[in-house]
Order: sequence, then structure tokens, then C-alpha cells
Amino acid sequence: MASLLWRDTSKNISAIMERLPVNYALDFDVPKDIEDGYITINRKNFTYHVVISGVMPYSPETEAIAKKKSGLKSIITIEKVEKIEPLSVMEFRAGGKTLETIANFEVGERQVTEIREKYGENLSEDVQNVLDDAKAMGFTIPESVAEEIARRRQEWGEKTYRNILKRIGEEIGNELIDPYEAVGIIAAQSIGEPGTQMTMRTFHFAGVREMNVTLGLPRLIEIVDARRIPSTPSMTIYLKPEYETNDEVVMDVVKRLENTSISDVADIITDIGELTVTVRPDPRKTKDRLIEMEDIMNAINRIKGITVMEDSGQIIIKPQQESFKKLYLLQEQIKGLTIKGINGIKRAIARVEGKEHRWVIYTQGSNLKEVLEVDEVDPTRTYTNDIVEIANVLGIEAARNAILNEALRTLQEQGLNVDVRHLMLVADMMTFSGSVRAVGRTGISGRKSSVLARAAFEITTKHLLRAGVMGEVDKLAGVAENIIVGQPITLGTGAVDIIYKGYPKTKK
Amino acid sequence: MAKFNVLDHNLVPEHHIVPEEEEKDILKELNIEKEFLPKISPNDPAIKALEAVHGKIKEGTIIKIVRKSPTMGHSVYYRVVASEVFK
Repeated sequence: MASLLWRDTSKNISAIMERLPVNYALDFDVPKDIEDGYITINRKNFTYHVVISGVMPYSPETEAIAKKKSGLKSIITIEKVEKIEPLSVMEFRAGGKTLETIANFEVGERQVTEIREKYGENLSEDVQNVLDDAKAMGFTIPESVAEEIARRRQEWGEKTYRNILKRIGEEIGNELIDPYEAVGIIAAQSIGEPGTQMTMRTFHFAGVREMNVTLGLPRLIEIVDARRIPSTPSMTIYLKPEYETNDEVVMDVVKRLENTSISDVADIITDIGELTVTVRPDPRKTKDRLIEMEDIMNAINRIKGITVMEDSGQIIIKPQQESFKKLYLLQEQIKGLTIKGINGIKRAIARVEGKEHRWVIYTQGSNLKEVLEVDEVDPTRTYTNDIVEIANVLGIEAARNAILNEALRTLQEQGLNVDVRHLMLVADMMTFSGSVRAVGRTGISGRKSSVLARAAFEITTKHLLRAGVMGEVDKLAGVAENIIVGQPITLGTGAVDIIYKGYPKTKK
Repeated sequence: MAKFNVLDHNLVPEHHIVPEEEEKDILKELNIEKEFLPKISPNDPAIKALEAVHGKIKEGTIIKIVRKSPTMGHSVYYRVVASEVFK
């Protein structure tokens, strides 16, 4: 349902509230079918909700409170005004796109997202039967294995099936990790050794024009270091299935994503004699990026303290305060002014993938949150290589999956086969605390609970001194601290104490 | 300010709230105390999405996560809602 959105002063609002129901004259055209509206005072949040019962064109005869003294265009009849909890401007959409600024008036729709929990597909009965059979024999098998068995059960016959299941049980028993096995060390070696084989070079991303993505060892280091911003953030944007094959929509989305600033489409000339800045749009560039003169004007009008004149295709801007410093600042401000696009997306390139002629958009720069809000974008598949951003937008579990995917892909691109379980362990450790932690001094190793382990790792004096001042206790549960004090380490057989159960006391 | 359901994203596995009466069984099966479970922040987008369905989620609630695993088919993981991160 469309609602009227406009900005007003608190003075006007209190005038309306005193005389309800009341006619209110507005300085813009209002569609006939509007039934309610929201008013913002600060352009960021809507704080009033109004119920509108009638819309008519402005005529001076009708008695009404006027929003402004002149330029009135329509009159609405307001039935009710209520103060509401601040509602972000971003909750509304106007004409299919996200509302960025509500200057004076828009018609927008309140967005309603239906949130439901997702439930995975249930296991088929056949698979469940196999799992139950295995359980009856005294072991559990992974679902993926059970599925495979269930599929072949018919061709094997019942006897072979039983035998195979039994053998699988034995194999799984042999492969199980023993209690107190040092899985972390094994994972470290298993990732580290192939890591030495990696080329130190970063390749160009083959197939996409001039898109450079960090690969190989530098990328792997980046992943485990949990950098705030990766050196080459990039996104893979999928469109909703209905738009995927539509060339025009794809190109339009690409243009809307790419961040365009004034210096991309116009020449900026500073005249020191006249103290003016002239913006001269280049028709070829503006056409290429689908930018109208109006867009440029809108962007420039957001700057305060200037006078703007439009003269035969060029825009002359003069700071209200005449000084060289102001002029210089203005020039810099105009250069960086965004006309349209999403912050952070420097380039967007569409590429056809697969036989079905489906478009996928690749970008340089990443802004997951805002890209997911674009209507045509499929919010279930769109992906970024910025792990910290994924953690912020999609949550810690998504970040864990992203670490796993990214690390696995980086290794596989180099032709290295590392068992996925090692990477899973790393990903789980990095996300254990609920936020993405680096492997190293600032992350996992630097935050161990044992003082001695931390002191043995890095910055010995700092940790020991601090522990002394704070009176920390070391329970000697880990490896490093036990080696320091000369005890058997708590791994493998060293972890097990002698257990003496003794004989139960017999009552005399 | 959720405009899309984060739980629908391919990267996000299923999140379910564990009812309080089942917590004991899970902790017993895992042979662990609640505070040693992996954590999830109460401000986590997935938790926020669950809150839109179930109402406020208290700290200390156990969240059952059913992951799609390349080795297991599905694997079950537990996290406890906690704002403090481990020291």
C-alpha cells in the first residue's frame, strides 16, 4: 500500500494536531488513492503517522492550514495524527528503488519482509532405514554415505547390503580420531605443507576484463588473518531467475550498481579570478553512464552554502562566502560527489555464464548490505569475498561457511588437495567466540586462557607482567604450559591418568 | 531494518531455538557445560531474524544449527547466545 511521505516542521504538525480533523494544503501533487502518510522532521526517521481521508486539488476558497505561503498544489484532509516510534527512511521504497533522500515529498511503500525459519528437506525413508540399520549394528554413518547405500540397496540384494554395511562400520571405526588426538596440529600441517607449494604470484582473473583478484598464498593469509577489508574485495551478484537472461535489465542493474562521481562524467574547472567552480558534463560520458543533467543538479544541490547557476549545459557554482579556502574545499567536495550507484562498488562487469545464457555480475569493491537491497538482485545467492562483511550482514554461521568456501577455493585453484575437515576445524575455531577471530597474536593464539601459553607465543614480558599484576591462575591444561613446567603434556596417552576403581567396600 | 530474510541466504544454515526443557539432554549428550559451547552474539543477524519470528531471545538460549556438510550430509552444531566473548 502506497503512503505519502513528506518532510514538515514541528510547528506545522502541532498546528494540525490542535484542529483535527483538518484540511492541509501541500506544495506538491498528491495521487488520489492515498489513505495514509508519514511525516519526517529530520529526513532520517519518520515520527508521525497520519490518516488521510480525502485528496483534492488546491483552491484558495477551501479553508485549510497551509504548509507554505505560496506554491500550494493540493489539499489533503487529515483525520488523525499519531506520534510513532521512529521509523527509518530506509524502510520505505519509492517507485521500485530504495529511497535515498526524502527532500520534500515522495510516494513510497512500506516494505514488509516475511521472515520464516527455514527447515531443510527431510531425509527420505530409504535413507532413514539405512541409518537405523547402522544404529542397530552399533555405529553411526554419515547421511551422505547412507544416501549412497540406499540408492544401491536394490541392486545389491539384502545379504550383500548387510555385509557392506558391516564393513563400512568397521572402516569408520578404524578411521575415527582417538580421544586426545592433537587435531589442531594435524590440521596446521595439512594446510601448511601444501601451502609451501603455492606460487607466490597473484594471477589475473582470467576471463573477466581487467578484474584483479588476490589468489594463492596472499589470499590464504588474508583469510586466516580475518582482515577487516581484503586487498581486492569483490562480489559475485546473481540476479533473480526472471531477470537473469534479460540483457537490458542486467545492463541497467550494472549501471545502477557502479558508483559514479561527478569527476567520472564531467570536467571540473575552477576559476580563481571569478571565484567559481564550473562543472561541464561530457555528453559522451553521461550517455554511456545513463546520467541526466537533473541527476547532476540533484547531487550538487545537496551541498550547503553555495549558489548554483545553470547556463547552456554547464553548471556554475559559487560559494556564498568569498574566499580561496572555501573555493578550494568546494572543488574537492564536488570532485568526490556521488551522483548515483552504491558506495564502494568501483566497477561492475556482467558476464554470461553457462549454456543457458545467464548473466552474472562481478564487481570490484564490495557492499553486501546495499547490493542485497537492490530489487533485481537475488538475495539468496549473492556473494562477497569479504568475510568480515558477511559476518556483519549474514551472521557468524554464514561467515564460517564463507571462510571454508574461500579457503577451499583458494587451495583448489592452485591444484592443492587439502581435506575439507582441516579447513572446517580452522573455520570453526575462527568463529568460536561469535565473531570472526584471526589465527595469530590478535586472535586465537593471543587469547588463550593459559598465561604461560600466551607468554611462550609472543610478547613474553607483557603477558607475564600482566598475569603477575592481575593474579592470574594457570591450570596447566594445554601443551605449551606443561612443557614449560616439565610435565607430560595433555595429549594422547599423556592426557589419561591412572584410574583405580578399587573394590567396593564390603560391609562387615 | 531487515528487507530480506537472512535465513534464506545460501550461506546461512538453519537456526533453531532449543526449548529450555531439551537443553539438559543436549548438554548431557555433549558432556559439556553451557558456558563452554561456541557462542553467538545476540546482535547476530540470524538471531535478529529468529527474534522476528519467536520474539525476544534471552542470553543463554541454546541455538541448534543444522549445517549442510560436504562430508556428513547434515551436521548439527550448537551455539549459545552470549554477548561476552571468551577472554
